[in-house]
Amino acid sequence: MTFHGDQWPNMTSREEFLFLSELVLTRSSAEHTMIRVHDRHTGTTRFANNQVIQNVDGRCGNLAVTVAFGGRQGTASTTDFTAGAIQETLSRAEKIAKVTPVDPEYLPPPGPCRFPARDTAKPETMTAGAPRRLEYANEAIGQCRMENLMAAGTVSSSAAAVGVAANTGLFGFERRGEASFSLTVQAGDATGWSAATHRSINHLKVQERTLAAISQAKRSRDVCELPAGRYPVILEPAAVAGLWAWLIRSLDAKSYLKGTSAFAGKLEQAIVDRRITLQNSPDHADLLGEGFSTDGLPSTSLVWIDHGVLRQLAYDRFTAKQQGVATIPTLEALELSFEGSPVDSIHDLLKKTERAILVTNFWYIRPVNLRDLTLTGMTRDGTFLVENGEIVSAVKNFRFHESPLDVFRHVNLWTAPMEAVNSETRKVLVPAVALPQFHFTSVTRF
Amino acid sequence: MSSPTWDEFAELALKRIAASGAEYGDIRIQDSSTQHIEGEDRRIASIRDIKDIGFGVRVLYHGAWGFAASSVLSLEEVPRVADLAVEIAKGSASIALEKVRLAEEPIHRDRVVTPYRIDPFSVPLEKKADLVLRTMETLHRKSGVARSSTSLWARRDKKLFVSTEGSHLEFDLLAGQGDCTATALHDSRFASRSFNTPYLRKGYELIEEADFLREASRVADQAVEKVQAPSVDAGQYDLVLDPEHLSLTIHESCGHPSELDRALGYEANYAGTSFLTTDKRGTFRYGSPDVNLVADNTEPETLAATGYDDDGVKCQRWDIIRDGIFVGYCTNREVAPKIGEAQSRGSNRADGWGHVPIVRIANIGLEPGSASIDQLLADVKRGIYIEGHGSYSIDQRRYNFQFGGDAFWLIENGRRTRMLRDVIYHGITPEFWNSCDGVADRSTRRRYGFITCGKGQPGQSGWMTHAASPARFRRIEVIRGEGHR
Repeated sequence: MTFHGDQWPNMTSREEFLFLSELVLTRSSAEHTMIRVHDRHTGTTRFANNQVIQNVDGRCGNLAVTVAFGGRQGTASTTDFTAGAIQETLSRAEKIAKVTPVDPEYLPPPGPCRFPARDTAKPETMTAGAPRRLEYANEAIGQCRMENLMAAGTVSSSAAAVGVAANTGLFGFERRGEASFSLTVQAGDATGWSAATHRSINHLKVQERTLAAISQAKRSRDVCELPAGRYPVILEPAAVAGLWAWLIRSLDAKSYLKGTSAFAGKLEQAIVDRRITLQNSPDHADLLGEGFSTDGLPSTSLVWIDHGVLRQLAYDRFTAKQQGVATIPTLEALELSFEGSPVDSIHDLLKKTERAILVTNFWYIRPVNLRDLTLTGMTRDGTFLVENGEIVSAVKNFRFHESPLDVFRHVNLWTAPMEAVNSETRKVLVPAVALPQFHFTSVTRF
Repeated sequence: MSSPTWDEFAELALKRIAASGAEYGDIRIQDSSTQHIEGEDRRIASIRDIKDIGFGVRVLYHGAWGFAASSVLSLEEVPRVADLAVEIAKGSASIALEKVRLAEEPIHRDRVVTPYRIDPFSVPLEKKADLVLRTMETLHRKSGVARSSTSLWARRDKKLFVSTEGSHLEFDLLAGQGDCTATALHDSRFASRSFNTPYLRKGYELIEEADFLREASRVADQAVEKVQAPSVDAGQYDLVLDPEHLSLTIHESCGHPSELDRALGYEANYAGTSFLTTDKRGTFRYGSPDVNLVADNTEPETLAATGYDDDGVKCQRWDIIRDGIFVGYCTNREVAPKIGEAQSRGSNRADGWGHVPIVRIANIGLEPGSASIDQLLADVKRGIYIEGHGSYSIDQRRYNFQFGGDAFWLIENGRRTRMLRDVIYHGITPEFWNSCDGVADRSTRRRYGFITCGKGQPGQSGWMTHAASPARFRRIEVIRGEGHR
C-alpha cells in the first residue's frame, strides 16, 4: 500500500502529510515522537562546450522519525513511503532510543506554533519541467555560439513538500519551489560567470546574465600578472557573499560559550564597520524565506549584526534554553546592508576608484585559522585591474588570506544590497563593496 | 501477490527503453543503509539509521543523454520514470551538435560482495555507544582538553545494474570508518587533534582493530601539546608528509586534474577544469622521477574497488604519473573515445540511485620508494613533519594549492624535535611534485580515503582511497596560518 493516493506520483499533499503523521504518532509507543517529511522533485539541465551533457529529473521522498523515552532518543529515516516501511522506520527509531544512553541535552519537540505563511511555492516554478529548463539552457548556449564562445552551466528547478509534526501538537506543512541558473562563459583561457537563484523561475534573467558573463569573458582575454601583495579591492556581491558565509557559519553559540569560537567574548561588541547591519529577512520577495526550520521552529525576522555590533548567535535548542534565549533566531534569508548613501551600481564603484583589484567571485574559500577567522581562497571568473575609474586589464587570479572580521572593519564605498549566490553559498542579498586593503598572498598561472 | 523482484523492475524499464529506439539504456536500483553514531562533549549527540532506496534510469537517444530517478519503486513508477528518461533524452537530442559515442565494453554478469569478518549492522548499538562514550572520557582525562567528539559510521549498499547491452551486475558492498577529536584550550587559544581510521570496505573489525582508547589518549596529549606549541616561523622548509596528509594532497593536486571530463571542460561551471590538458599526456613532467602515481580500483578494501563502475565497466589498475611524467586519465565510456582510447578506465560513479554517474577520481596512490622514514628524516636540516588534514584550498585548474595539517613537528638536523602550530604550505602543483626527492618503502604504506569529494551539478559526493608512504619535498614555502595585521 502506498500513501500517494489518487494524485500519485504528485508530491505529498498537506492532507497526506497529516495522514502520515497521525499514522506514526498513533503507532508510536515513545514518550515523544516527531516526524519530518521532505518530498522533493528536482530537475537539472547541465551543459558544457555548448552542448547538453546531462539532463536529469528526480523525485526523492524522505521520512524521518525521532522518538524518545525519558531522554533516550533515536532517529530513523526512509525514502520508502509504503505502510510497511513507515512502520519499520518507527520500529528502528524506537529500538535505537531504547538502548541509547540518556542525552543530558535532550529536549522534547517544540509545542504547537502558528508558523508564518510565506509565498514559498510559485506556480511557475512548481510546474516547470525539462522543456522549460532546456529552453533556458538553449538560450544561453545560443548567445555564446553567436559570439564563438563556450558555455557551461546549469538550469535547475525544484518543488518540495516539507512537513514537521510531533505528539506535542506541533504541525507545520509548506510547499517550496526554487529555480537556479548559473553560467560560465569560456573565451579560450578567459572566463566570465553569472548565477541566480529565485523562488520564481521567471526571475532568473537568463538573457541578461548570459550577456553579462559574455562581456566579462571577453574582457578577461588579455591578462597580465600583478605581484601578490595588499591592494584596494572592489568585491562584487558573490565575492562578498563568499566571505560572509564563513563568518555566519562561525556564529555557533555552543562554541562561543566553550571558548572555541572566533567570536568568544564579542557578543554585544562591534565586530565590523558600524554602518553594517545583517538581518534575516524571510519575507523579502527576492530571498528564500521559509515558514519553519527542520527543528520545527518558526523562521524569524531578526537583526544579527546591528550597526556593526554582534547581537545574535546560532543556538541549538538546549543552549538557547540554558542561556534563557526565548526566540531562537534563524538564518535562511540573509540581507547585509549599510547605513548611509550607497553608490548606484558596480559601474559607479569603479568610476570612483583610483586603483583597485575588481573581484567577481571567490572559489574554494576555507578557514586557515578558526581562532581569528582567517580564510583563504582563490579569485575566479573575472579578476581585473581598475585604474582611474576604468578596467584597464584582466589580471591572473590571486590567492588571498584575510579575515572578514579584519577587512570589513572599514568599508570605503558600497552599493545597495543585490542578489548574490555562488557555488558554495545560499542565496543572500549583499552589496558590492570597495575595501581599502585586501591581502593577496600568491598568484596562480592563469 | 508478492512484490516484483528487482530483476522484474529492471526488465520492465529496459523494455520501455528498447521500444523507444534509444541506442543505450541502463537502470540502477539501490538500497542503502547507513548508521551514524555521533558523540560530542561526553554525550551521544545523535544516532541516525538511514534507509535510502530508489532507482535511476539512464537513456542515450540519438547521441544525447536523459536520466530520471525516483524513490518510489513500484510497477507504476518504473515505467513512468523510464519513459520520462527517454523523453528527456529526446529533448537533449533536439539541440545536440555532437553525438555521444560510448567506448566498447564486454558484457559482464557478476556479483560483487565485500568480504568482512564482523557485520557492522549486527554489532549491538549499546556496544558502539559505549565505545563512543569511553573514547570521549579518555579524551577528557587529559587536563587542558575542553571539547571532544567521536563518531562511528557504517554503510551497506545493495545495488543492481542492468543495461540494454546485457550486463547484469549485483553488488553487496560495505564500508566503515571511525574517528575522535580532542580540542584543547590554552591562553585563549584553541587547537584540535584527531585520530581517524581510514574509510575502507571492511566490516566492524576496522573499528575493533583500531584501539580507540589508546589513540584517544595519544591525540588528547598531542592536542594539549599543539595548543601550547610555538607558531611556525614563515620561510622555506623541507617537508616530510605522512600518508594521511598525503592522501588529501594527492586527491586535490593529482586526482582532480587527472579526471578527463574536467580536462575536456565538462566541469567548467563548477568544480573547474584541469591544467593536465590532453596535449600534455605522455610528455608533461608532472613530478620528479621519484613520483609514480598509480590508479588502482582493484585493490581489496579500497573505496573505488567495487568490481565494476556505474557504466558496468570492470575495475582496473593503470598509471597516472609514471617516473614523473603524466601518462593517464580517469575516464568513463563517454569521454574515453574523445582521447582515442578504445576502452573506459572504469571511473564512472554516482553517489546513489538519484544521481547520474560522472567521472570520478580513482584510488590514486603514490607508489612506495626504497627509503626508510629515518633515512628520509636524516637528510633534513630544517624541516617540518606533517600528519593529518587541516586547511586546504586549490584553484579551479589545480595549479595553486595551499594545505595545512592536523599536527606538525619541527625537524632539526635529521630528528623530529618539538610540535609547532599554524603551519600552512603553498605552491604550484608541478613545482611541488618536482621537489619530491624521496618516498619511503612499502612497509610504511597506509591507505586513507574520502566519501565527501564534491563534484557535479547537482552536487554529488565521491568515494575513493589514496594510499601513500611518507614522502619528502624540498624547499617548500611555509607561512603562518593566523591573522597578519
